[in-house]
Amino acid sequence: MSDKVNVYINSKRYQAIKGEPLLNVARRNRVDIPALCYEESLKPYGACRLCLVDVKEGAKKGLTTSCTLACSEGLSVATNTDEIKRHRKVLFELYLSQAPNSEKIKDMAARYGVFSTRFELKHQENDKLNSKCVLCGLCVRTCNEIMGAGVINFIGRGHNTKINTPYFESSDVCLGCRACLEVCPTKAITIEDRSNIRIMASWSYTEVELKKCTVCGKYYAPEKLDAKVGSLFYYRDKDAKLKNMCPECRKKYAAKKHTLIMEGEAEKYAK
Amino acid sequence: MDKRYIDEILSKYNEPSGKLLGILEDIQEKEKYLSKEALKYVSEKIGVSFSQIYSIATFYSFFNLQPVGEHIISVCMGTACHVRGAVEILKNVEYLLGVGVDESTEDGKFFLTTEDKHFSVNTARCFGCCSMAPVIRIDDKIYGYVKIKDLPKILKEYGWDKK
Repeated sequence: MSDKVNVYINSKRYQAIKGEPLLNVARRNRVDIPALCYEESLKPYGACRLCLVDVKEGAKKGLTTSCTLACSEGLSVATNTDEIKRHRKVLFELYLSQAPNSEKIKDMAARYGVFSTRFELKHQENDKLNSKCVLCGLCVRTCNEIMGAGVINFIGRGHNTKINTPYFESSDVCLGCRACLEVCPTKAITIEDRSNIRIMASWSYTEVELKKCTVCGKYYAPEKLDAKVGSLFYYRDKDAKLKNMCPECRKKYAAKKHTLIMEGEAEKYAK
Repeated sequence: MDKRYIDEILSKYNEPSGKLLGILEDIQEKEKYLSKEALKYVSEKIGVSFSQIYSIATFYSFFNLQPVGEHIISVCMGTACHVRGAVEILKNVEYLLGVGVDESTEDGKFFLTTEDKHFSVNTARCFGCCSMAPVIRIDDKIYGYVKIKDLPKILKEYGWDKK
């Protein structure tokens, strides 16, 4: 079993698992620390810098990102010092200039008392991410680490960095899983379903075909995604019919089958 | 495309990690640029996703993703060269070779090649010889104290003739 340790956030004691990111503990206990690039299932990345905390004891003292700060016994941090507030303000101002169209960023900045920015707004023409991307890398990491597809990545560097498919060409390895869209903190990514085709407008208009449910005729999941991960779901009873059903029909079918079995059993017991 | 030379390069690298940059460097040395086919082939062979390799190739200004000319002219844009007229030198080189200023590529890299693929022009940050500013480099040779009126003479050494 993993070791339990005590950590102190703003002088209050919390239990943590040794080695887990401090941000995890804060989130679990509803301690407010803003963050854009953190996701529990991914490796800590420390890109957005918003989750800054001030280490008082237990690690190298001073400001550091709480998503990359491993919990250890007696670790003590403060989350709302004047220094942190000052840094956070600049960070939000930079994000407001980087993603001027993002309502999410505006709301988040407003929550921390930042309403305007001193920096020039970065409106890009023809930006496939609608001038909302903050380059936190969540979509890139999800696509690589979790889906294992590696469709998108950072292109270039510095203020010219973009996220897209290699050579800005439509990808033949994209599964169409929409995980990038789900994980994006600023909702910058555009993906549309047009009858039997899913179009990743943000990723150079990559297209994937969708699979049709054999019962209700609804298009419910990309063919490629189904071929890759669908096989994990085909259940203990290995009923081939389940393979081509949408989740709703699958539920109905399973429930019906289950009832039939129960009734069959009931009859058996009656005899 | 002949992929045998890539196989040869790959066979030199046996470590499980940290070999990608070396491989890309070797390919560029051989071909002078990284073609899409080469990157795809490397990706398949070493099991790193194509997008990751493209990302790395676009990150380093050292890598060329477009075919380059026979001779590469780098105009230094470092501070010392800049104040001593590097911008004018660059403009004149572009004018003499007949390449346009706005032809930078979508990946953001600045690289211009003449139509006959004889010359490529790019900018560099510093060659470490600021005392000779302004400086240009053609292939591996450094030219210091460059004056605009000297440019045709220098270019002629590399087979340029006014058309």
